[in-house]
Amino acid sequence: MTTPVPVLLSFFFLFFFSFGIRDVNAQYEDVRCKCICPDTAVVNGTQSHRKLYIENVPPNKCDCTNVVLPRVGDDIKGKEKEFCPRCECKYESRNTTTIKVVVIIVIWIISLLVIYMLFLVCLDPLLNKKTTTQYQEHNNEEDESETHSQPLRASGAGVLNRVGQTTDKWKKTVQEQRRHIYDRHTILN
Amino acid sequence: MSHSFRLTASEVDSHQIPMMERAPFKTPAATFGSFPAAPGYQSFIDKENREGGQRVASISSSYPGPSHSVAMMTSSISSDEDMLDITTTGTTQEQTSFDNESRSIASPAGLGEITAEDIPGIGQYDDFQTIDWQRDLARDRMHHRYITKHKEESILSAVKAAHDAWSGWVCVLSVGVAVGAVASFIDIGTTWMTDLKYGICPDAFWFDREQCCWSSNQTSFSDNCSQWLTWPQLFGASDDSAGGYILAYLFYVLWAVSFGALAAVLVRMFAPYASGGGIPEIKTILSGFIIRGFLGKWTLLIKSIGIMLAVAAGLSLGKEGPMVHIAICLGNIFSYLFPKYGRNEAKKREILSAAAAAGVSVAFGAPIGGVLFSLEEVSYYFPMKTLWRSFFCALIAAFIVRTINPYGNEHSVLFYVEYNKPWIFYELIPFTALGILGGLIGTLFIRANVWWSRYRKGSRLGQYPVLEVLAITLINGIVAYPNPYTRMSSTRLIYLLFSQCGVANTDDLCDYNRNVTDVSSAVEFSETGPGVYRALWMLVLALIFKCVITVFTIGIKVPAGLYIPSLCMGAIMGRIIGIGMEQLAYHNPHSWIFHGECSAGGEDCITPGLYAMVGAAAVLGGITRMTVALVVIMFELTGGVRYIVPLMAAVMASKWVGDAFGKDGIYDAHIVLNGYPFLDNKEEFGHTTLAADVMQPKANKPLTVLTQDTTTLEGVEMLLKETDHNGFPVVVSRESQFLVGFVLRRDLSLAVANAKRTLEGLRDDSLVLFTPNIPSPWHGSPPLKLRRILDLAPITVTDHTPMETVIDMFRKLGLRQVLVTHNGRLLGIITKKDVLRHMKQMDSEDPDAANTN
Repeated sequence: MTTPVPVLLSFFFLFFFSFGIRDVNAQYEDVRCKCICPDTAVVNGTQSHRKLYIENVPPNKCDCTNVVLPRVGDDIKGKEKEFCPRCECKYESRNTTTIKVVVIIVIWIISLLVIYMLFLVCLDPLLNKKTTTQYQEHNNEEDESETHSQPLRASGAGVLNRVGQTTDKWKKTVQEQRRHIYDRHTILN
Repeated sequence: MSHSFRLTASEVDSHQIPMMERAPFKTPAATFGSFPAAPGYQSFIDKENREGGQRVASISSSYPGPSHSVAMMTSSISSDEDMLDITTTGTTQEQTSFDNESRSIASPAGLGEITAEDIPGIGQYDDFQTIDWQRDLARDRMHHRYITKHKEESILSAVKAAHDAWSGWVCVLSVGVAVGAVASFIDIGTTWMTDLKYGICPDAFWFDREQCCWSSNQTSFSDNCSQWLTWPQLFGASDDSAGGYILAYLFYVLWAVSFGALAAVLVRMFAPYASGGGIPEIKTILSGFIIRGFLGKWTLLIKSIGIMLAVAAGLSLGKEGPMVHIAICLGNIFSYLFPKYGRNEAKKREILSAAAAAGVSVAFGAPIGGVLFSLEEVSYYFPMKTLWRSFFCALIAAFIVRTINPYGNEHSVLFYVEYNKPWIFYELIPFTALGILGGLIGTLFIRANVWWSRYRKGSRLGQYPVLEVLAITLINGIVAYPNPYTRMSSTRLIYLLFSQCGVANTDDLCDYNRNVTDVSSAVEFSETGPGVYRALWMLVLALIFKCVITVFTIGIKVPAGLYIPSLCMGAIMGRIIGIGMEQLAYHNPHSWIFHGECSAGGEDCITPGLYAMVGAAAVLGGITRMTVALVVIMFELTGGVRYIVPLMAAVMASKWVGDAFGKDGIYDAHIVLNGYPFLDNKEEFGHTTLAADVMQPKANKPLTVLTQDTTTLEGVEMLLKETDHNGFPVVVSRESQFLVGFVLRRDLSLAVANAKRTLEGLRDDSLVLFTPNIPSPWHGSPPLKLRRILDLAPITVTDHTPMETVIDMFRKLGLRQVLVTHNGRLLGIITKKDVLRHMKQMDSEDPDAANTN
């Protein structure tokens, strides 16, 4: 019988792990105005690279005049009219909390799946072997189904047992799917 | 031709449902009732009826997917009950309350035995079950009538009626919300994971590069900021040094391979059905089949996680096709909350159609395109009601994604570009040329991919799915890294190719000799710099690489969609041609073609990005053979209504060229490859064969029948034991062969088993009676009355009915079988299987005939 204990343990571990790194950074804002302009040298007639200016301003102030000019003012004095049309400003917003939560959940899920997978591959056969020897009279590998699982369930072996049965059931489904796809190639080729 | 609806639900005489009431079922629907065909099809109908119950069993348990043995035991009980109830009970009320009533009819143990005997019928199509559209829709109608009839009786009934009426809308609402949420989840996870190949944001590991540099104070414009550390930087090497390059290369390949391996292993371990794109299977499912576990919870989970990993691995695949599968999984799961849909497979498909629309809606940020996709490509049965629900579902899903805003660009796709440039009339010529090229690439791709899939299926390669994924990921990573255009993720590449060259774009692709100092001159139109030629070479190499690797990638056992790779191929091709056109116009500004717009050196001349868009649509059109949906998706992607005509021209040209060289799109080709029993309603049948040529049994062999009042119980049991037909016609007598009705094998065996347990004094020589009346003083052993399980309205045709008509009946009524009569006597039977086999046979014998129509 498989148990969810290792899964739960790992879950808690990850839970604390993720809380440990929780309030690291507050410097990440949720909105920004991003302006990309040519180098200020442009007004003097030389070709050049692009420059990036990022400010946290309200959307209606997201333009060259409010974001770029205050920072480069001296270099292009008097030539704002030439410089500004060359700038591209974009107002962007995001939700850092959502991103953080989603990424942490993704890491959790993947870790849980990997741990459960390792459990199924390594530990489960050992545990199952023990169970098989213990309940030899009940457990006849071949026709596992109603006939022997019914009395077990009826005897009220508890939640754990039922979980185990559901797991076995699920494992058989997956095995069946594997047979279709990897062995017989009848579907999803 | 006597041609009537089947009344499975009850005895015809007591409450026949008027024809008109079933009318909404206009669109063709497929079922697959196999019949006296070869062994291996038996347990078909049996299995499918279990499905409902299985799903119920699986939803109540905490583990996914319907399962085989154990689950079947328990679950078959409940679905058997449905079945028995439907066939045995007489009144409307009883029929609607099937779950309570029928437990008394069939006790679990006995049924368990029966179904257990049926399990070993493993044939090619064993895992597929058919739904009986007619029966399911009739059942829903009964249920509806019952509810409306009792609406007035009490407040509770009125509430129930109200709930019943709105449950469809509530269901699609919740599906829409869930699809939007899951899609955003996947989008965020994917972008984060993709950038993990390059480096990490040490301050906040959950950010990708873009997010990490969100409020950078640096003004130097480059990919990196001080907050983001690339892997070489993390190990103290400089990015520009040779050692740094090798380290970065190494990390890129290492991450790619580990993501790919993890995806493949997870898929193999938890949900093999999560591999691939899933659209051919979804088409088959929506046409009336059930593939157990294909839309289950584990498939949903593993597909969501797996697609993030697979995309992050840098493989040439996209998450858009899987997104449709994920949406349909959600639709399936949510439909269980509403018994009206969850317990009725035909009704459930309405929800699934709406979910498919939501899937495309979130995948491309194209709600209307999603509805059209559902209509044009995946759905089989699509009444107006479903159209509106799909519309609503797509709307909600798109709204949720827009609210969550996973890409920070207020759109649900990364490669959203806003276009508002006019195009010249003569540009239609290159657009059409792009369409032709797209059709050719599409056809070649389909051929190559199907060939490779067939090879994989038949050879030893198919035995090493995980190794195959590893090999492809490794090759992909090693070859892709040196070329910047293949190194970046496909979605970013598409965005780059679609977008115009502006100040913000510093890529080689935009290295024009532009005079940025002079405000009055145009920025958009000028001679190329050396960077553009460099970029063109890289793009040509990238195109070749993408074309080759995608053929081998689509079909490996990780979640994989082919929209993004095909858009990507098309965009590269389009951009190359676009730059060519642009330079042509630049060097000949006064030729008559470009004279109007380009002579002034204006900005409105030729936009290479538009060519990339048209090329993308053309290749995608060539591969999937979609038309309307594709154009709408493309224009929703770009927000430019004025490009509808170029897109239409390209897509149409692509479809013509594609259809000329190969008749199937990739989905249909895969349906054929996998041998899914899918009766396509797009195809026409142009042969003059008759029903008599197709029907079983052939040439003088007797048809297995039951007689209505002379068969003994022993005879029935022998019949059940010795034949594997899925149903038996019942005739008046063997001599006359006048048809009485049709009984399903499954019903028969269940009824017999039930009777043996409950009826006392039943002996082997008891008669099995299908007659309405029994002579009152009965002598001998007590008879077994089975008229209740008899379908008294099987659809019949005469032996001279043209096959075209028969096929139309199969398509439009969703039949499992028709009976063939001659002079009113039963002659044979035609099943869906026979029809499909016949169509295939005729097409291969006479390939021209099918094309001429």
